[in-house]
Amino acid sequence: MIIAIAADENNLNAFVDPHFGRCEWYYLFDLENLKGLFIENPAKNNHEKAGCDAAELLLGENIRMAIAGRFGSKVVDVFRRNNIQMVIPESQQTLSEIINQLK
Amino acid sequence: MGRTKKDRRIQMAPTFSGFKPQGVQCKIGEDVYINFEEYEAINLCDYELLTQAEAAKLMNVSRPTFTRIYESVRRKIAKAFIECSSINFEGGNVTFANWYKCEHCKITFTLPENADKYCPFCKTQVLIENH
Repeated sequence: MIIAIAADENNLNAFVDPHFGRCEWYYLFDLENLKGLFIENPAKNNHEKAGCDAAELLLGENIRMAIAGRFGSKVVDVFRRNNIQMVIPESQQTLSEIINQLK
Repeated sequence: MGRTKKDRRIQMAPTFSGFKPQGVQCKIGEDVYINFEEYEAINLCDYELLTQAEAAKLMNVSRPTFTRIYESVRRKIAKAFIECSSINFEGGNVTFANWYKCEHCKITFTLPENADKYCPFCKTQVLIENH
């Protein structure tokens, strides 16, 4: 299962970004082989529909779960239709903390 | 007696309870109460930049009703700004689109369709629905 986490920097000590569509990076983590990679968010400066474009990109990567501080209503709609689980951490957490909880 | 209000669907309640005016010693204006559907209306229209028709569909109300909710929240915010009142988020006729909470992991999440109701982090069963 592949998980996408919105991140503000491209290292594992970065915090989960507060906004899904406007984050700098996505960290894709594969729970089967425990490998991860960072991809840049191409839509972060879009005037509108940033979240939708990002969501389409991540759907192409076959993610099953997305983690971010908040999801816009259009993104929620796209993810619900594609049966992707969304998770919002309530406290500020780093990527490595999240991954340790998921393993 | 008027017809009861249909429940408005909102994605999420605000995570804090309101605003206070800065730089005044004592309270001046009367408190303003913004309910959850109004908060969602301003969020959809002015933060996520949806059209009123799109926003109305998301909230499960007609377009004119949405406009009414939106007008009402704009007036309340203007009143609070001008009269120096605090804003409180409170009440409203709302249902939450399906979000779940895990008290242990401190996360809010959705569940995939046809899946068992387990927290994705600690794998314990979901007890608290909605919010």
